[in-house]
Formats: sequence, C-alpha cells, structure tokens
Amino acid sequence: MFNAIVSADTLQATLDSVSVLVDECKIHLEEDGLEIRAVDPANVGMVDLRLDAAAFESYETDGGLIGVNLSRLEDIAGMADAGQLVHLDLDEETRKLHISIDGLEYTLALIDPDSIRQEPDLPDLDLSANIVIEGKDIDRSVTAADMVSDHIALGVDATEELFYVDAEGDTDDVHLELTRDDLIDLTPGDAHSLFSLDYLKNMNKAIPKDAEVEMELGEEFPVKMHFSFAEGQGRVTYMLAPRIQSE
Amino acid sequence: MEFAAFADRAEAIEAESADTAITEAVTDLFTDAGPDLSTLARFVQGRVFPAYESRTLDIGPRLCYEAIARAAGQNVSADDVEQRLADMGEIGAVAASYDLGGQQGLAAFGAGGGGNDALTVAELDAELRELAAVDGSGSQGTKVDILFGLFSRCSSTEAGYLARLVLSEMRIGVGEGTVRDAVAAAFDVPVEAVERAVQVSNDYGMVAEVARDEGESGLATVTLEIGRPVQAMLAQAGTVAGALEDWDRAAVEWKYDGARVQVHFDGEDARLFSRNMEEVTDPLPEVVDTVESALDAPAILDGEVVAVDTDGDPLPFQEVLRRFRRKHDVAAAREDVAVRLHAFDCLHAAGEDLLDASLETRHDRLESLFPADSDVVSQMWLSGDSEEIEDLEAEALAAGQEGIMLKDPTAAYSPGKRGKHWRKRKPDVETLDCAVTGAEWGEGRRANVLGSFELSVRTDDGYATVGNVATGITEEELDDLTERFEPHIRSEDGRDVVLDPAVVFEVGYEEIQASQSYASGYALRFPRFLSVREDRTPDDADSLERVERLAESQ
Repeated sequence: MFNAIVSADTLQATLDSVSVLVDECKIHLEEDGLEIRAVDPANVGMVDLRLDAAAFESYETDGGLIGVNLSRLEDIAGMADAGQLVHLDLDEETRKLHISIDGLEYTLALIDPDSIRQEPDLPDLDLSANIVIEGKDIDRSVTAADMVSDHIALGVDATEELFYVDAEGDTDDVHLELTRDDLIDLTPGDAHSLFSLDYLKNMNKAIPKDAEVEMELGEEFPVKMHFSFAEGQGRVTYMLAPRIQSE
Repeated sequence: MEFAAFADRAEAIEAESADTAITEAVTDLFTDAGPDLSTLARFVQGRVFPAYESRTLDIGPRLCYEAIARAAGQNVSADDVEQRLADMGEIGAVAASYDLGGQQGLAAFGAGGGGNDALTVAELDAELRELAAVDGSGSQGTKVDILFGLFSRCSSTEAGYLARLVLSEMRIGVGEGTVRDAVAAAFDVPVEAVERAVQVSNDYGMVAEVARDEGESGLATVTLEIGRPVQAMLAQAGTVAGALEDWDRAAVEWKYDGARVQVHFDGEDARLFSRNMEEVTDPLPEVVDTVESALDAPAILDGEVVAVDTDGDPLPFQEVLRRFRRKHDVAAAREDVAVRLHAFDCLHAAGEDLLDASLETRHDRLESLFPADSDVVSQMWLSGDSEEIEDLEAEALAAGQEGIMLKDPTAAYSPGKRGKHWRKRKPDVETLDCAVTGAEWGEGRRANVLGSFELSVRTDDGYATVGNVATGITEEELDDLTERFEPHIRSEDGRDVVLDPAVVFEVGYEEIQASQSYASGYALRFPRFLSVREDRTPDDADSLERVERLAESQ
C-alpha cells in the first residue's frame, strides 16, 4: 500500500536528482520515507536519495518496492504548476501508479524492479579533504571548465587552504580558486582528482544554486557531494568515480 | 572466461592464415570455454545473438565512436575517432590505439553494482543484452553510457575486439564452416551432425552446447522449431540444358519477382520472416490472413511474396520492399500495393520435419495443406523436355515474372546452401555484339535464303569465331538479312558462305563455354539473335578479351 500527497516542486526535485544519471530506478517505500539509490549504466556515477515522510502533505505506506520510468514520471509531474499538489496512489493488483493533479488522472504502468540495474553499495571512503560550497559556485566551476574541456580537476591545497578547479583544453586552460573565505567551510587535506564533465554537468543541473553542498575529495578518488532539498527533508548524495591520469 | 583471454585468443586466431590452424585454435577455445561456450561460439563470428533472432544491438558506428571517444578522453571527440578511422581503416585498430582505461568505475572503490574484477565474457554478454533491450526516449544516450563503461574496462586488445563485436565486424577469419568444424573436433562429433543441427536451428551456440553435453545423439534431436526461422535454400544461375543433363527431369517453377518469406504457422498464428530472418509479420497482414485461414496444422513454408496491382498483375520488386519496410499505417499501404503469397516449399507439416524429403514429396505435402481451389501454392511442372521448359519460361515472362526456377525433384532442402540442386534461369542480361563472318544457305524451299550465321569476335589480328546463330530470327527478318548480306559474300562452298565482316549482331546466350570447335576457343551456348546493331561496325564488335572476361565471371 502506498498513498501520498506531495507538492509538485518536491516531487520534481526528487525525480530530477535521479534522472540526471538513469532513465529507470527502483523506489523503496519505507514507513518513514522514500529511498532511491541508482548507478549510471557505465557504473561511473551514483545517486543516493532520501525523502522523509515529513516532506509530504500526507504519506502512508506499509512498505514496498516499485520500479519507475523516470522521464515518464517527470513528464507527468511537469503537468503540475509550482505549488500544486500531486496525489500518488499505488494499485497493488495491477501494479500501476495512479497520479492525480487537479482533476488530471494519469495511470502509470510500473516496471518490474528486477529488470532494473542492480543498486550499488555506497561505501565509506576515507577522503582527505572536505569543503562546504554553495551550489552556485559549483555551477560557475563547471560552466568555466566546460568552455575548454570535457574533463575537470577538483582539488584542495592543504597548505594554502584553498579549493581549486583546473580544466585543460587542447589550446585553452581554465583555473579557478576559492579560498576559505569564499567557501562556507573547509577542512584542509591534499586532494586532487580528475572527473568527466559529462557527469558533473548533469549532477550540477540537479543541485540547487542556493544549496550548501558538502564535497568530499581525495587523491585520485571519487568525489562525494551531499546536499539537501525540500527544506532539509530530502537529502541527496552523489558519488562520481575519477579518471586516472596516465602520464 | 575473462574477456581479456578471449581477446588474446581472437588475436592469435586473426594472426593465423592457414585454415587448419584457425580451426585448431577455435577448437581449443571451445574446449576451454566451459559455461561460456554458446556465447563464444557467437562472439567468434561477431554475433551477440543467434542468427535466427531479429534482435540486434542497434548501435550505429557513430554511437560506437562516441563511446570510444568518451573512454579515450580527455578532449577526444567522436570526430577525432572517425578521423583516426579514416587513417587506420579499421575500428578495432582505432579502439586499440587509444588508452581507454582512464575512467575508473565506482566498483574500483567498493561501490557500484558490478564487481571490481576483470570484465568476463559472461558479464560482457549480459551488458550487451541489456544494451540491446534499451529503448524509448534517451535510449541512444543510455547505449553510449553502457558502451563507455565497457570500453573503460578494456585493455587495448580487448577494446579492439569489443569495437568489432559491437559493430558486427569481427573479421578474424572465422566463418560458419570454421565454427562447425571446430565444434565437431572439440566434442568429437561428426561434422555432418553439427551441420544438420545448425541448419535446422540456426543457432551455433545452442548446437555447440548440445554437441558437448549430449553428443551425436543429442544433435540428432535438434529439430526445426516453429517460430525459429532457418536460412533459405538458395539457387545458383543455371541453364535448361545443364539441368536436364544432370537430372533427366527437372522440376520447373515460375521465378517470381518478389521477396522471399518463410511462413511459420503454429496451429493458430502465422509469423513471417524475411530472407535475413527479420520478422515481417506485421507489415504483411494479408499473407498472415491467407495462411491462418487455409492451414489447420502447424507448418513451415517457403515462398515468395509478390506485389500486385488492382488487376492482380505483378508489380516490381521495389513495391514489395516498400511493404516489408512499412511499420506504420499498414492498412493504407495495403490499399496502395496488395501482396500475394506464392508458397513453393514445405519444410515442416503437422509435427514432421520434411527437410530430408525429396522436393517432389515436399511439394505434394504443400499442396495437401491448401484447399484445391487455393492459388497460394506455386505450380510445379516436371519435365525432361527442353522445348516444353522453354515454353514455360516464355509463359512466366509473359505473365510478368522473372524467369523460371529449375530444381532437382529428388533433392532435399538444404537451408542456407546455394547449391546446384536449385537453379535460376533468367533471361540473359549480358549480350554480345558479334561480327557476322559467315552464313549457310537454307534447305528446301528456303534454299535461296541465308538461314544460319557465323558469329565472330575481334582479335588483335582479325576475327575469331564463337558460334552460329539460327534461332530468334523470323522468316521476314531472314529475307531482309539475306538481301543485306549478298553484296558481302566473299566465297561459297556448297551451302557454306564466307562473308566479309560488315554487319554486327547483338546476340543473347545462356553461357560461354570453353570449346575447341571455334577459333576463339570459346562457344556461345544457345545463342539467340536479338537485333542488328545498326550503330556498330565490325571494328567495334566485342573483343575476344571481353568473351574471356564474361566466361570468367560466370
């Protein structure tokens, strides 16, 4: 059983955070909220999302697992105006999700969860540096790097106590530095890793510009980014594997 | 087996030039294959799915370049990959030339769905199947993502063979015959047993497993299956004379100008497959209706679908193809171009495989399946008389069809074989322009008219004969020709006349054969007069060199 009412904004933010990596996902219906964990088809980027029951206007379930086509669900959620409410009701027998938005009724066929790519583990990594950065600064870094390259290096200089971004193009380069003052917080430790901009650009799209993003970095290690949405009642962690430089 | 091990073996096989060494290497591969046997039997041929399946990866070259570019990073674009392909000429070499292992997977850090271990053949197969299953909006992107992930886990040798596998360009010198022989050698079963099982199943992977696990007796139990298309039996070009020489009697059928279909009827529903084993059930509803209403027991039929106009007259082949490719709005297309099934063979009827039965038997069974008043079954004549056969050909051509098929009435149905048991006899495409260098006076009341003409082609120092033509000329034409040739008569000896080369005939023929009877060393078989080439002088008649080339290309 699953019956919930949620604001269109919250639903869209939830779906967008996941759909930047995958087309289909499993949604775990827990008594205290939703959980989604998914890895992209190349096994390079993953998302771990939690939306508390408190983020909903009403939320009732006795647990369960459903598989959804995200772009389909996003299209439906896109039919709602900001602030409108979306009513979700699972029909256990037909395995369909009834969605109603102000008189609009949509019956969404669910996907067999077993046919969806296996969910990843989220390991604890001992990452040396930790910064807290505004979403808009991530956006600025990614946009700058994208002008010259398809990869981006993220690093922390422990001595200078600064976070930096490097992007090397065939002809042009981009370098950007954010000091302790520019950041919300910085726990120094030497860190430097190179990432595919394809992934980071997609993740950036889902990160609110005004969010406080906690970023964990290491030496040629994955980056983890944590942020909240829905007034702190939704939490997302992205993890992205690095490219190891051969030279 | 790790994919790296497969790639190493593929590289070794590719480096071999001797057929026996290649077969030995493939044999070893199969012997060591373990649970990956069926996958490897397909991979060596550059296939992910069995030949009978319509399913494909549906990956265009461009998507593959994009995936390679992303794995090759930084700042490598699909255009760069394409440029390198233009330089190197082969996608495997291009993929191998990049260092693709830079992008780490999450698995390397204890995360992600897959293990951190090397890519295995089984895992690759599963990923490629997942890739094939992706559809809907954004599917292209997802396919590239999957491929990018795979390339990122490849060494350069692996990447080369992955690229080739994905684009179905394996090209390591392993053909179907090699796989067949290697399966036989690896599991100590007769080649013929493997061949037969493959013919009826079209699935080398399954056959290899059966050969290993159940041996020769297991292979014998592999039978045709309704819904699993087999390769069509094919015909080679042939002649009436040749057919009658080889078989005494030939089964003669019209050769329809249409598209080959294999009909699979399971007792309720009919499914149709093209010669490439693509399913064409949906685009051809009237054929499905025809079959479903006429048959009442399971059957597999071979036939030709032709397009017809509103009068029922055949339309060109392209019209059928338009219907085959039609995915949407079939009803409208059906109104424009109707199609009709001409069934000419029966591979299976009511639980009985008929591949080994003679054509005559199969055709009888085929006829028994349809009501007497049905026009679905293509008529088959048995004849040992070349004139009768030529009449049938003339009728076929007059009816707008392509020509005739000549079949050995005693032969079995051999899927995928372009053998001498089936021959197609089409009107000659190539003609020769021959200088007329001699003639012969007629007999009886035609004694004062030339009746047969000696044909010659140009050589470096004159002309050389290739035959005599007497057929295809009407009496009226003979009168005209006699008048035209009389001024060029150089000498006469009895009925034989030597002519100065002055006139050029366009001549059709069935084939060119080596012959001691004529100066050129070749003879035209069944030459027919087509026309006088008014626009040509003997100086630009065809040369002996062209005759040699035509003989070569037959």
